[in-house]
Amino acid sequence: MAGSNEVNLNECKMVVPLNTWVLISSFKLAYNLLRRPDGTFNRHLAEFLDRKVPANLNPVDGVFSFDVLIDRATGLLCRIYRPATAEEPEPNIVELEKPVVGDVVPVIIFFHGGSFAHSSANSAIYDTLCRRLVGICKAVVVSVNYRRAPENRYPCAYDDGWTAFKWVNSRSWLQSRKDSKVHIYLAGDSSGGNIAHHVAARAVESGIDVLGNILLNPMFGGQERTESEKRLDGKYFVTLRDRDWYWRAFLPEGENRDHPACNPFGPNGRSLEGIKFPKSLVVVAGLDLIQDWQLAYVEGLRKAGKEVKLLYMEQATIGFYLLPNNNHFHTVMDEISEFVSSDC
Amino acid sequence: MLRYDSTSSSAGSSSGSLSSSSSSSKPPQQDIDGLLAGAGYKVRSSELRQVAQRLERLETAMGNSPADFSQLASDAILYNPSDLACWVDSLLTEFAEPPPTCSSDFIVDPVNNQTVVNSAWTAAEPHTPQVHQNITYDEQQSLDNQLTVVTAMEEDSGIRLVHMLMTCAECVQSGDLSLATSLIDDMQGLLTHVNTICGIGKVAGHFIDALSRRIFQGMGGGSVNGGSAFENEILYHHFYEACPYLKFAHFTANQAILEAFDGHDCVHVVDFNLMHGLQWPALIQALALRPGGPPLLRLTGIGPPPPDGRDSLREIGLRLAELARSVNVRFAFRGVAASRLEDVKPWMLQVNPKEAVAVNSIMQLHRLLGCEQTRNSPIDTVLSWIRGLNPKIMTVVEQEANHNQPGFLDRFTEALYYYSTMFDSLEACRIQPEKALAEIYIQREIGNVVSCEGSARVERHEPLAKWRRRLSGAGFRALRLGSNAFKQASMLLTLFSAEGYSVEENEGCLSLGWHSSPLIAASAWQAVPAWDNHMSSS
Repeated sequence: MAGSNEVNLNECKMVVPLNTWVLISSFKLAYNLLRRPDGTFNRHLAEFLDRKVPANLNPVDGVFSFDVLIDRATGLLCRIYRPATAEEPEPNIVELEKPVVGDVVPVIIFFHGGSFAHSSANSAIYDTLCRRLVGICKAVVVSVNYRRAPENRYPCAYDDGWTAFKWVNSRSWLQSRKDSKVHIYLAGDSSGGNIAHHVAARAVESGIDVLGNILLNPMFGGQERTESEKRLDGKYFVTLRDRDWYWRAFLPEGENRDHPACNPFGPNGRSLEGIKFPKSLVVVAGLDLIQDWQLAYVEGLRKAGKEVKLLYMEQATIGFYLLPNNNHFHTVMDEISEFVSSDC
Repeated sequence: MLRYDSTSSSAGSSSGSLSSSSSSSKPPQQDIDGLLAGAGYKVRSSELRQVAQRLERLETAMGNSPADFSQLASDAILYNPSDLACWVDSLLTEFAEPPPTCSSDFIVDPVNNQTVVNSAWTAAEPHTPQVHQNITYDEQQSLDNQLTVVTAMEEDSGIRLVHMLMTCAECVQSGDLSLATSLIDDMQGLLTHVNTICGIGKVAGHFIDALSRRIFQGMGGGSVNGGSAFENEILYHHFYEACPYLKFAHFTANQAILEAFDGHDCVHVVDFNLMHGLQWPALIQALALRPGGPPLLRLTGIGPPPPDGRDSLREIGLRLAELARSVNVRFAFRGVAASRLEDVKPWMLQVNPKEAVAVNSIMQLHRLLGCEQTRNSPIDTVLSWIRGLNPKIMTVVEQEANHNQPGFLDRFTEALYYYSTMFDSLEACRIQPEKALAEIYIQREIGNVVSCEGSARVERHEPLAKWRRRLSGAGFRALRLGSNAFKQASMLLTLFSAEGYSVEENEGCLSLGWHSSPLIAASAWQAVPAWDNHMSSS
């Protein structure tokens, strides 16, 4: 289908600011270099190109960060972001795991995006996003550096998410004073949103409470071609071909896109009826070609009687939440803030 | 094991120029798009439109030949991804010409009137298969299970130990030696409750020793606590085997030197610290395989004078000569014995003006940083004569650490973070006695940083950001290490080392770290010609 590969550059330049266009286009081009037709991935070049930032104990805009190795066997790292307090404006090595101060302190476990293959917890764009979340939610943010595809397929990312979840839940220094429990929210964008859903499901199955899920442009899919996929293929930075590549890279070999990891409410999915699934905030960008799957996800939650708020941002493209230069960004940040604070 | 990085957020990291005013030698560029800078990219606002246009052109070019794309990605050498305009351009260049076949792509070298193969298209080895990131070490799994499980109480004791170390260091800084002494006793007691086989207990033990030596020997009188040169060489060799830091240093420097020597028939490497000459066999072999044939290679190795009269430098030179002979590389060696680098004078190196010179400094420059109050300090003198040699390249590898701050507590804290991380990485080493001796090697460094002062304190590590400023100010310009060097470093790591090490690119320099903390940084430099008034530091 020659038409679906044609890139309509003019359309996407109209809807995003110039610097956003430059950023997302350069990601797109870089990612095209990294995906090989045979399904392998040029990991060395990916790491070379990815802009990373170190953790920083010196507070920047009131937030400091440090990295913790939580599972030696898999090398699972998390980056923890904490608000600097007035009493300890410059934390030292002893203060890092000082108990959080407050009756209720939200802890957001964040899973970065990248379609299961790209980016890391220390990628600059995600470091920036996590720092913002600390500020707007008055939360501690734990960003998980999960293992990526294609070297590590399903269920590695979910297992790492679960390991991080258990680790967070068992930190005494993260407990809120009110009930000596850790108040956990799960959040993520793109593949991270997908991971957040699956970790939440596993958590509630194990009897551990999750206070809420925040899914930003979550990555879902299915075998069928939906209307939005056909209509928007190649129009706004993303093509169906690359989406297919990433699913092939993540899902077990031989599986198709109706695998429940990809399509949780599809033919092989499972209803959440009767399960104490947390409330969800799902953000869908109106110019994202996979929106029909994201909307189907929201429908699936509703049908099972779960609380869900849908934020449909009509004129938004993928990655709109990476730079604070558009209205969608601010709207979403406000909603996230309210979503998290409503339990305090 | 907890891992921290207390570096400040100013320039030098790949985070872009968020707050460059405090540490950059040039005035902050007002025009840089702040939002893109936060994402790690440096683009001038005034150039955004142009960059966008180039991206569009690149996209169109890609659309025309999608099959070539990933193959070209494997072959192309890219530099400095933070400079978006620059790397988009280099990709455009790749796409603008049709890819030539390897053997027919020659350019004539006008100086030597010889044909030289364009190095970007040289592919001496067949396309190496992608090395998967996760090679499982079954051994490692079972050994990890054997490591003592850290109980909650131990974790608690570990934190208390760190707390006490900091307090003790504070006392030493303020001169309250009696409190410091009693803290030493308490800490030694606490050590018995903590696992000292690995983790915080092991590192803490070394720091307690170093503090104790500092207190009991008095300030400034601390011994260099180095053994003989012979001992040092043995420890160095085991450190080389036990973990990849020195291997990384050597092959990154060699790669850069090899490229700098391209097209030259007479080349001369000056090695500031020969040790066992571990770095050079690989370079000799690479030169032997060079298309067009190897050059005449001279190696001048600097090392300490042996106390027992053995001419160890010469012995190493002989072994290297033997290797060179076996691969048909014309080779000459010269040893320069000096106990300190600042005692070396350029005439001792006998550099010939016709040869291409490479100066190689693996963790040596920081030793020249003591006694900076005097004018013509050792570092200035040495950098000045290096510049006078007009080297084709100077390769510099240094510990990525801030161990030369004037305040003792700051230094101590930095060293605690740094060496904790390094010891943690050493846990992954499974071979003995390499691991044990490597630990002693590191322990000696700790001892020097913590318990020595004045001229005895030679381990004066400074981070890459500071070296960049220093070298730029001394008339050097950075040569960028690109994606090919990065890829080789990454691949070699996966083949030879345990999981957890990572290579990072930072504005043309490469660093090797453990779990996202860089511990050693490699960079390459060239002297800016004296008549060039624009002293740029890229």
